[in-house]
Amino acid sequence: MKNKENKFGKNTKRAAKGPNQRLIQRTAVLLIVILIFGFGAAICRLSVLTLVQGSELQEAAVEQQLKDTTISAKRGIIYDADGKVLAESASVWQVVMAPAYFENDKQREFAAKELSDILGLEYDDVYEDTQEHSYYVMVKRRIESDQRNEILKLIEKLENDYDCGNAVQLLDDYKRYYPYSDLASCVIGFTGSDDQGLEGIEYQYDDFLSGTPGRIITAKNANNTDMPFEYEQNVDAVDGNNIYLTIDETIQSICEKYMKQGIIDNNVLNRGVCVMMDVNTGAVLAMVTVDGYDLNNPYTLSDADKAKIAAMPEDEQTAAKGAALSAMWRNKAITDTYMPGSVFKIITSAMAIEENVIPDDMRFTCTGAVTFGHDIIHCSHTGGHGTQTFVQALVNSCNPAFVRIGQLVGMDKFVQYYEGFGFADKTGIDLPGEAEDSFWAKGSMNEVDLAVASFGQNFSITPIQMITACAAACNGGYVLQPYVVSKITDADGNVLKTVERKVKRQIVSNDTSAKINEMLGFNTESSGSTAGYVPGYNVGGKTGTSEKIGTKSISSFGEDYIASFCGYAPVDDPQVACLVFFDTPSGGSYYGSQVSSPVFINIMSEVLPYLEVKTAYSEDELAYIDVSAGNYVGLGIEEAKTAVEQDNFNYTVKGTGDTVVAQIPMVSSTLAAGGNIVLYTDDTSRSETVTVPSLKGYSVSEVNNIASAFGLNVSLVGAANSGVVSKTQSIPEGSQVSPGTVITVTFSSSTTVND
Amino acid sequence: MAPKEKMLLKGDINRIYDEEYYSEQKIKDEKFFIRPSAKRKLKKTGWFDIGMGIDLPFCIIILVLITIGTIMMFSASYAFAYYTQEDSYYYLKRQVIFVCLGICAMTFMSFFNYNKLHKVAPIILGVSYVSLIIVLFLPSINGVNRWIGFGAFNVQPSEIAKLSVVLFFAHWCSKYYNKMQLATYSVIPGIVIFGSIALLLFLEPHYSGIVIIAMLTVLMLYIGGMQTKYLIIGFAVIVGIVALLAMSGGLTYAMSRLDGWGQALEYTTEDMWQTTWQTRNSLYAIGSGGLWGLGLGQSRQKYLYLPEPQNDFIFAIVVEELGLVGAVMILLIFALLVWRGITLSLRAKDKFGKLLGIGLTSQIGIQVVLNILVITDWLPNTGISLPFFSYGGSSLIMLLAQMGIVLSISRTANIERQ
Repeated sequence: MKNKENKFGKNTKRAAKGPNQRLIQRTAVLLIVILIFGFGAAICRLSVLTLVQGSELQEAAVEQQLKDTTISAKRGIIYDADGKVLAESASVWQVVMAPAYFENDKQREFAAKELSDILGLEYDDVYEDTQEHSYYVMVKRRIESDQRNEILKLIEKLENDYDCGNAVQLLDDYKRYYPYSDLASCVIGFTGSDDQGLEGIEYQYDDFLSGTPGRIITAKNANNTDMPFEYEQNVDAVDGNNIYLTIDETIQSICEKYMKQGIIDNNVLNRGVCVMMDVNTGAVLAMVTVDGYDLNNPYTLSDADKAKIAAMPEDEQTAAKGAALSAMWRNKAITDTYMPGSVFKIITSAMAIEENVIPDDMRFTCTGAVTFGHDIIHCSHTGGHGTQTFVQALVNSCNPAFVRIGQLVGMDKFVQYYEGFGFADKTGIDLPGEAEDSFWAKGSMNEVDLAVASFGQNFSITPIQMITACAAACNGGYVLQPYVVSKITDADGNVLKTVERKVKRQIVSNDTSAKINEMLGFNTESSGSTAGYVPGYNVGGKTGTSEKIGTKSISSFGEDYIASFCGYAPVDDPQVACLVFFDTPSGGSYYGSQVSSPVFINIMSEVLPYLEVKTAYSEDELAYIDVSAGNYVGLGIEEAKTAVEQDNFNYTVKGTGDTVVAQIPMVSSTLAAGGNIVLYTDDTSRSETVTVPSLKGYSVSEVNNIASAFGLNVSLVGAANSGVVSKTQSIPEGSQVSPGTVITVTFSSSTTVND
Repeated sequence: MAPKEKMLLKGDINRIYDEEYYSEQKIKDEKFFIRPSAKRKLKKTGWFDIGMGIDLPFCIIILVLITIGTIMMFSASYAFAYYTQEDSYYYLKRQVIFVCLGICAMTFMSFFNYNKLHKVAPIILGVSYVSLIIVLFLPSINGVNRWIGFGAFNVQPSEIAKLSVVLFFAHWCSKYYNKMQLATYSVIPGIVIFGSIALLLFLEPHYSGIVIIAMLTVLMLYIGGMQTKYLIIGFAVIVGIVALLAMSGGLTYAMSRLDGWGQALEYTTEDMWQTTWQTRNSLYAIGSGGLWGLGLGQSRQKYLYLPEPQNDFIFAIVVEELGLVGAVMILLIFALLVWRGITLSLRAKDKFGKLLGIGLTSQIGIQVVLNILVITDWLPNTGISLPFFSYGGSSLIMLLAQMGIVLSISRTANIERQ
């Protein structure tokens, strides 16, 4: 404050004539220094602090003045299409500590000891927490009511004996439960320790599900004790929104049941995928990755994985466990790519029809192989298919014929349709981790590439892309965006968002689509159960078997394959499509026709009636259609006999009573028309049993004869086609059953399409 | 002669007031060159301006400041008192008593002929030395030896030292006014007295006391007639030392040694964070105030976040409650006090009165500025109270007694005009 004075020094000298003059001038300097420089600096500094840094400082001040406690929001519920709960949060508690309330080590030691005992924590860790000068230290989350009761007792004890009851507190918390444990696990996903979604829907829709945590804001003095000037503000937690999936628990369960069976039957080494889609909306009705995992214990590996990891050197185990877990959580239907193989012939056919490059009279000749310079492309039927029509080529799944069709379409158009059917982009399904296709770079595709691409080899796509494209081929040409969430509501049920069908583009005409349906319907009908034939429904579909290239073989065949089947029903008005896909079968067969088609048939035979898809039985089929048994119990014996005959069944009477006390098959059970109803008139005769014979390897009539000879009933699946042979029976040979018991026998073609 | 007259006509009023100037210039033509005071005397004969009374504006400013100060002291101490003394009015009650006693002292001193102080100035300086030495042998409070207790009263020897320095140099400079050009009459006594007092304050320790004593010494010597070159030399030496420290990196060290000066908002170590607690919360309070403040009584930082809000850091609470606008208005009143005190002192009929009045008034200005720079972390937190605002018995009474001296000087200033 003195540095400016020399500026006035000259004046001082000039006025030095009189001592008073000098005093006045120096006093003026003093006034300037104090009032302008001194007070000026003070005001400037205050202005900077209040106006420039004000908000920042105020924020810091408010932060220390307000004690902020978070209240967890309840996470939203995930429902299936039918309103069944798939994921839900239940109330639990969290234990928190406000160690600032501890006044001495005696309190700290006691609290740390009790807390570590009750909650099973390390004493040293808890004791360390008690040393902090803080009002919020998380001790343990998600304790259940028994531990909660003990904590309540501890708080009481702290209050009464140690006068620091505030130091330990219980807050509401939530825990996620999945009632169906592993159902649709790869779709639903699970949550982490902070209730945040980590996989699947839980991750994708975390913002909707998580809600907004509430807060209790309390203004406190620096000692955080009661003052007459307190201020408290509560912000209620807003519970998360509820999500309705397009996935139907019933359909999902059916699919999972048969997929699991398929995994076991075919010794599939690298999991399987089944996607069922509403072809007209793109809604996913079921999405299965088998084997899934228990959503309630997502960090528990399968026993096989555990054994594999236990055998590893110890330093590799952690990494291996992580890899195994992420592999287990992967939703293979969208995160893994594969070569579609012959299933892709549906798409190639659609291109050819739309481009009108195949005249009706065109014939394709297959000699078993096509040659491109040094490259030879073999047909699966090494002897060659001879001369075929377009439809026959599709039915035969003839590779050389499709090489020719690909050439007719041309490379540019082929790529254009590839992109048009949505293979070049992610489908945009509302699930995390969707993979991208792997196709030839623009301009790098040569004619050999085109040739193999025509029958679905040497490029990779995701299963969800395949079924979406297949849906487009059959639904009139509309490429849809697949989705798994149909509706979002708030916690009170008010609808926030509904998902509508979203058409990306129309890639082929309705006519082309109709022709594809006709061809695939014919394929299924003529190939029978190897091509997904489901009795009573006009099903269209295509098998596929593709070789896995670039991976080390682990299967029994020396080479690894993907066996897939993609089909839909009914062909005259397609409703649902289903893709069944097994990665690396290592059992009896690796062909899509042998591995995937039977699973597809099983799934569709249950799902189509559930969806009330209209049936279309041929005359042949009507002979094999199952009928329901009526109720004859309680009727007089003669009366019952007449009733049975009226229902077109035969009867056998067991016992000597006058009235029917029991019947086999039971009321409403289905059995082949003309079957045998056993009527019991007393209880003693009911202990009688018959031994189930072998019903495998016979024709339809032979099966019928054997069954009636043993007094058993049969329900026939896949029997309407010529040349079929019985393959499975629902009750194993040698079992003891009551007379009249219905045994389901499935038939399939003795010849196979090796594609 | 003519250009000079012209210049005077345009008018530096201070010069016109100066009687000695007139005698030197031998201007007798009263008709041509009327002194404003004489002119005023002719027009109105108000009792507050001319003659018998004290300078009423100055008195009113003091009363306004003491009123605002007491209200704000109550607001700032309310919660702290409730919490530490279980009586929200604890500090208010005492402060009101001190204010009453202080006003009594002020009234008494305003009647007291300050010229009597001329002779006792060296004695008071001696008393100051004795008290500064005694305090070093008394038990320390909070690690420092700053207070001498007299029952309910605590006296700070450094407060006495400030008064004694002003008093002594007013005495010295007025006595040897014509010899002040010589270093032996200005620089040497300055260095001897400041140096010895600074040493004693350093032992307390009381650094802010040293700073204020240094400023008062320089101020008194400067207006007392010391040659400007000594001031420049002294200033250059200080700048040199600071530059040397800065270059050797010692400045940062010194700053961190001074209770984390300038580091209140940055977390370095837990110890430092605790040490800078008061300054940091002062900044929080000031920042929270914003332009208009949270409203009288609405401070949140006073709820034990800012320790002892009634003492040195009271102005932080004032800014928090009244905002920048309120703070600037209060500072303007202080500025008015300084302006009025200094200008009225210039009217005193003798040198001693002029120097004493200027010194005592300037002391308030210096202390206000330093206090605000401390609470805003531009100076280290070393205990500079805010006049009329900070709680404190002996210092408030002494402050008002000093104001009484200035009022006493104002009487003679008025008498002189009469």
